[in-house]
Amino acid sequence: MKKYLFRRILQIIPVLFIITFAVFFLIHVAGDPVAMMLPSDATDSDRQILRTALGLDRPFIEQYGIFLSNLARGNLGRSFRYREEALGIVFERLPATLELASFSMLLAVFIGIPFGIWSAKARNSTMDLLITGVSVLGRAMPSFWLGIMLILFFAVKNPLFPVSGRGGIEHIILPGFTLAFGIAAQITPLVRSSLLEILQQDYIRTARSKGLGEKVVVYKHAFRNALIPVVSIMAVQIPGLIGGALITETVFSWPGLGQLVIQAIYGLDMAIVQASVLVIALVTIFFSLLADVLYCIIDPRIQHR
Amino acid sequence: MPSYKNAGDTITEVFFLKGKFLRTIAIASILTVVLAGPSLAANGRVLTIAQGSDMLTFDTQNHLNTSTDCVLNNMTNLLYRKDANAEVQPELAVSHERISDTVWRFKIRNDVRFHNGDPLTAEDVQFTLMRAATDKSLREYPYFKVIKDVRVVDKFTVDIETFEPLPTLLRLVSKQGSNILPKSYIEKNGWDFFLKNPVYSGPFQFVSWVRDDRVVIKPFDGYWGGKNTEWDEIHFRVIPEVSTRVGELLTGGVDIIYDVAPNEWNRIKNNKGTALVNGETTRIMLLVVRCTEGTVTADKRVREAIDYAIDNKALTDIVLSGSGTPTRTRVSRGVTGFDPSLYNTYCYEPEKSRKLLADAGYGEKNPLEITFTAPRGRYLMDSEIAQMIAGMLEEAGIKVKLELLEWTSFSSLYNAKKNRELLLIGLADNYFDANYPLIHYTKDRAKNETDFSNDESDELYKKAAKNMNQEERVSQYHRIQQIAAEERPHICLYQLKANYGVNDRILFVPRIDELTYINEIHRK
Repeated sequence: MKKYLFRRILQIIPVLFIITFAVFFLIHVAGDPVAMMLPSDATDSDRQILRTALGLDRPFIEQYGIFLSNLARGNLGRSFRYREEALGIVFERLPATLELASFSMLLAVFIGIPFGIWSAKARNSTMDLLITGVSVLGRAMPSFWLGIMLILFFAVKNPLFPVSGRGGIEHIILPGFTLAFGIAAQITPLVRSSLLEILQQDYIRTARSKGLGEKVVVYKHAFRNALIPVVSIMAVQIPGLIGGALITETVFSWPGLGQLVIQAIYGLDMAIVQASVLVIALVTIFFSLLADVLYCIIDPRIQHR
Repeated sequence: MPSYKNAGDTITEVFFLKGKFLRTIAIASILTVVLAGPSLAANGRVLTIAQGSDMLTFDTQNHLNTSTDCVLNNMTNLLYRKDANAEVQPELAVSHERISDTVWRFKIRNDVRFHNGDPLTAEDVQFTLMRAATDKSLREYPYFKVIKDVRVVDKFTVDIETFEPLPTLLRLVSKQGSNILPKSYIEKNGWDFFLKNPVYSGPFQFVSWVRDDRVVIKPFDGYWGGKNTEWDEIHFRVIPEVSTRVGELLTGGVDIIYDVAPNEWNRIKNNKGTALVNGETTRIMLLVVRCTEGTVTADKRVREAIDYAIDNKALTDIVLSGSGTPTRTRVSRGVTGFDPSLYNTYCYEPEKSRKLLADAGYGEKNPLEITFTAPRGRYLMDSEIAQMIAGMLEEAGIKVKLELLEWTSFSSLYNAKKNRELLLIGLADNYFDANYPLIHYTKDRAKNETDFSNDESDELYKKAAKNMNQEERVSQYHRIQQIAAEERPHICLYQLKANYGVNDRILFVPRIDELTYINEIHRK
């Protein structure tokens, strides 16, 4: 296991290298950052002067080389837009994003797992159909629409929660639910199908034949194994929540990483995009490692070599 | 399998606590919501303004961003400032005189202090203007590079020397970017410190900034013009989604919201306690037309035919619900040099359009084909406007290939001068002088973009740029606008209005520069 972890950590280096190159290349071909900085009336010579002043007139490889040499020294560069250290700006936003992401994930688990079990235990009942139907709806429903509807019903028409912004716990409920609903809608059917499959296994039959109670059979023997696919889904969803909660963050004006990244992409602000992508990549790698470790804990039969 | 009834219990069983856990969570949630409650009621002495985007920086010379200006203009002072009618009025300057065609002398107030208590002197003016005029990496550099030198004459007197005679110097020193910076504070603490702890000399001072959330400022006790006693704090909130901004306004969470799309107007109008207010902007929506030799639009008759095929009034009335005024000039109403004869008018004559096309050799069997590029989501109803224009052109017998691009791609295409026959864009003017927008009708600026070339227009522009006789300069600009309206390197469509939602407790009159001056916002 230790060897496996060490190998996985070593793999981070080439992965990050490839990511930085891909982002650098994509931003480079996406357009001219200077075009986004000066007004449309600016002359060609004004643009050229700014391009030279910012070092954007140098060849692509040279610019990338400078970026890598700065990166080696822990410097991800300064934002064109903010004129500040990019990493500092990204870290400034991270707490808001982590807060929303962890709350949403927790809420999704609290909603998704019980309903998944309920649905599996009540297989083919009206309730099962209802839960399955809502899950399909949850996956199909665009999060911005759900967010706007929640604002309309629970903040404007019935002012129970604030419309937007970040503050006390009351602020996180609507955006948290918006994000959680989609994830719960993925967890519920997964838990259901996984549990149903496991409940057909021989060892469950054995457990039942030993005279164990239904609760012990389901929660002690079946549930733990049914969690494996759920852990996979969560490991995949968490990085998505960190970098991809953009729409929800925008609808609820939640000052997180998502909004920063999209503005940086629109403004072709290379330093911010790189810093954000690197942070998101590290989070992704961390959670996929964590998922691997969790597999071993949930199912000791799984061994990483 | 358990029955449905039995299954009903499992929802709580899952938490292994037979319902206690869930009940606790539910009660705690309800209590939290009830006790904390949404921060709905607007505080009487706190003014909250919701913008669609955040400010970018406290560096006044490096942003070119209206949201940033809306905050900074309340914290800073300039030598001169535009009033609500865009007329230049003295602020820090007490007087000015022209020493020669290229040297102007300014005397400034001697009772001004920065928010940290340092006095504002001629050295600060010199530091500010010379930085903008020499640091090529600054966004404001293209505007300020006309300044050759700024000399301190005495503690409260400066001379500004320009490379050429500059009739628009007062416009320049009343423009964003010339906001006076504290020289010794910046030199002592460095720029990074300044950007996190900004200090200026304006009526409001910095309190806090949480990016993409809010900027908070408060009245400055030691302001030379007297402390604002109407407001305790001003919050500039960032709410990118328009329906959320409207939601906040309707529930009293904010007092003023910017950029309200027509589909949200009725929600604001029909709500008790809020109103919709609109005001002019300097933004002109126009079509950039390629006059490059070899393109179909190089033929003047084709450009005319396109103009005659477009019903500007239908665009402003139907798509924009009145949020624009038809115009035929790139110079906005309210800007020095504006030609009023070209405002609130348009030329829509479909028959004439067809005839011009026929004269140019196009007909049903041989239709004119053009590519029309437009941005999506950048300006008010831009893609809808583009589609309606395309429909009007098709009606006139022109085959249109419409390309709708998101802003980054659009902007890159435009700046790389890869625009085809027609391109829809909105151009504003924060200089408030025709010298700035009319540069498009000079050969150098038009090169590779419209490739428009007119000797008279070129000559007039060069003369007007240095002409210290204001009356004559304005008439030169009028003539350039008449030439452009006739030659159509741009087909101007309309001057956009800005729409705001306002809480009834507030007196708010929009300005043409789209900026917010807290001292002009009052409680009823």
